[in-house]
Amino acid sequence: MRLIKIRILFSSLIFTLFVILFLSSERTATSLSSVLLSFQFVPVLIKIISNPGFLVIMGLVFLLVISLLFGRVYCSFLCPLGAMQDFSIALSRRLRKRKNHSFQKPLPWLRYSILALTVALTLSGSLVLLNLLDPYSLTGRIINHVMEPSFVWIYNLAIEIPKFFHIYLFQKETAYIPPLALVVSLLFFFSIMLLSARHGRLYCNTVCPVGSLLGLISRLFLFKFTLDENHCAECLRCETVCKAGCINPNDKTIDTTRCVACFNCVAACPQPAIKYQYAPSLAAQKKWSAQRRSFVIGSAAALFSVLLAFNNKVRAALYAARRSQKPPATPPGAVNLRRFTQFCSACHLCVSACPTKVLTPSFFEYGAAGLMQPLMDFERSFCDYECNVCGNVCPTGAILPLALEDKKLVRIGKAEIFEDICVVYVDHNNCGACGEVCPTHAISFIDKKNILYPEVDTKYCIGCGACQLVCPTTPKAIVVHALDTHEQAVKYVHAVKPVKRPQMPDADFPF
Amino acid sequence: MTDENKTNRRQFLKKGLSLGMVAGGAMILGKPDFLLAQNAPQGLPDLVAVRNGEPDTLFNKGIELMGGMSQFVKKGQTVVVKPNIGFPRLSQAAATTNPLLVKTIVESCYAAGARRVYVFDNVVLPTSANARNCYRLSGIEDAAKEARAIVVPVDDFSYRKVEIPGGKTLKTAEVHSLILDTDVFINVPVLKHHGSAHLSIAMKNLMGIIKNRMEYHLTGLDQCIADFCLYRKPDLNIVDAYRVMMSHGPSGQNVENPTNVQLKKTILLSRDIVAVDAAATRIFGREPEEIGYIKMAHAQKIGNMNLKDLRIVTFAL
Repeated sequence: MRLIKIRILFSSLIFTLFVILFLSSERTATSLSSVLLSFQFVPVLIKIISNPGFLVIMGLVFLLVISLLFGRVYCSFLCPLGAMQDFSIALSRRLRKRKNHSFQKPLPWLRYSILALTVALTLSGSLVLLNLLDPYSLTGRIINHVMEPSFVWIYNLAIEIPKFFHIYLFQKETAYIPPLALVVSLLFFFSIMLLSARHGRLYCNTVCPVGSLLGLISRLFLFKFTLDENHCAECLRCETVCKAGCINPNDKTIDTTRCVACFNCVAACPQPAIKYQYAPSLAAQKKWSAQRRSFVIGSAAALFSVLLAFNNKVRAALYAARRSQKPPATPPGAVNLRRFTQFCSACHLCVSACPTKVLTPSFFEYGAAGLMQPLMDFERSFCDYECNVCGNVCPTGAILPLALEDKKLVRIGKAEIFEDICVVYVDHNNCGACGEVCPTHAISFIDKKNILYPEVDTKYCIGCGACQLVCPTTPKAIVVHALDTHEQAVKYVHAVKPVKRPQMPDADFPF
Repeated sequence: MTDENKTNRRQFLKKGLSLGMVAGGAMILGKPDFLLAQNAPQGLPDLVAVRNGEPDTLFNKGIELMGGMSQFVKKGQTVVVKPNIGFPRLSQAAATTNPLLVKTIVESCYAAGARRVYVFDNVVLPTSANARNCYRLSGIEDAAKEARAIVVPVDDFSYRKVEIPGGKTLKTAEVHSLILDTDVFINVPVLKHHGSAHLSIAMKNLMGIIKNRMEYHLTGLDQCIADFCLYRKPDLNIVDAYRVMMSHGPSGQNVENPTNVQLKKTILLSRDIVAVDAAATRIFGREPEEIGYIKMAHAQKIGNMNLKDLRIVTFAL
């Protein structure tokens, strides 16, 4: 009984923290993300390759140790999507009359084919399936695309009220989510919620790559749930509370590959039949070989996927598929396009944290293999010079954290002025909007007959996109061209000598 | 007073009356100041310049020479103080109005009996992620709040479209509702170098009360800056030339000891927005005729850039 309560409390806390992570300000998000996301399987597995650090290594060791010791406790205690599904299950059980779960036949072929394909695609450098199915990234997108806009909308409506009392608060903004990306998120959100309401944790035991991987190694778990035939009164209470549907009452077995360690069965069993105990080699369960079959299928799938992944032709084809005609700009810290697309799990935490909302989910811009990975949308916004939050919150290391001073010199694109469109060159009228907003003094003005003509010095340009955003002409007379590989910009040095004007005597006025 | 000024006033009155309701209402409510905003009452100076002091002492002396704040703010009126908070810069960078000056002005408004004093600026947005950064970094948010001003966030986008009577290029503008709905409008620009308009002073500062800023840039910055003044001139312009950014404007250097800032310790006050711009141009070390919008505004009789025609009072502390 107590373990269930702890689980419910803990997983609710984790889920709440995830919602806070996505809704909070930049500073809170930065500190929260490093702690919270060091204990999520997929981000940690990617980050251990992309940007290993103490916390990441500790996180991975912790996750492996608790999994090997206690089974799939990750799925019930730490996984935000698991918490979301548990909420939907609890809600549906409260609302509907039919309250019982029942044993579900395993679908090992489907399950391990999905895992094999995911692993194969991931190893060959395309995260598309992993990104779509990873429980953390999925939750991130659901919070970012569904919950955050509603929250911000309510907040913005609410701040209208204090205005009557002459109290003015700053509005909040949400990122623009391309309709197709939104449709994908909504589709996943509603189908997972419905699936869990009707079939419990079916997603976790058929689709989720983390669940499948943990299922594959479940033979090694030290603590397991065991069903003692001798004490069982066949009351079936355990079956009716098992969200994973992994307790088979007919031959009295528990399918450990699918058990999500929710502790419901232990609490429900009136006899001392179901126990959670130290059981390193499970000799008792030889009769029904679901585990063995799963293990064989899983191993075969893994072997197949590795073979596929290291086939050069497959890799080349996938990389070519990812490269669209004109790849978009990647955020500072991404280093280069290829690295970024190979490490980003499209959780959209950066999209949510980005204060200017220049980071926007892509759809096909990175090619089909980079589905949903964020891009710098200079049509809509610009990259704030005084900000490095995306690298600080990125849980996978796809965007490396940069010190603000370093980030200010990372060139992600290059601006170009088109003199045949620019109003100053065409109409000989002052405009200068681009220079006004340029943070690096890359745009300077040449004075000809009191008209100021803009010029770009690309050695200072970092490609933040501010100039493109303010340029008043249609089409834009100044455009940032994305760079595949980021470059180092030159720091603008102000003249050491202050500008000297003839100093007037102290009491003198020039009129 | 010159003939030019007289005809100007007549024209202005005509336009004001033809606007009907609004102007009539203003007269009935006992605010003829609004219609005569440009001309100083008899015996009082057209322009005041004070130097060699701190922002607060400079202002206090300046407003005294202008006849006191009661000339501009009557008991129970609402006031909007519009500094330049356009850039996410420390006040030392001189890209934004001096916070102490803003604070002193707000206090002076309340002392004159103002009911409410608002402070806001439409931040040049693609310079900072959040308008709040500009409000905070410049020190103006804190300073204004200390003086009990209501600091209005700029992303509170409540703009109304207005016609510009006689605008050459700018025919309509979307003006912030605070400017339209408050009784007194005090313009508090900072004098600084500007990369695309040469200088940013009082007229340029009015780009911070409108929304269609990009239309200015697209159709002719100088002419639009001048045209807007045909719609509404501030009741009082106070130019902050305490620290003056001499190059790399309008954003300048975001450091505590910028190399392009000169300490001039001067402030200018005037009802005439063109005159105050002309005087500030001289303070900067240039000639008013060189600045496009000043020349245009003078030609459109928005104000007078010929400083020798004006009653100027100077004072060195």
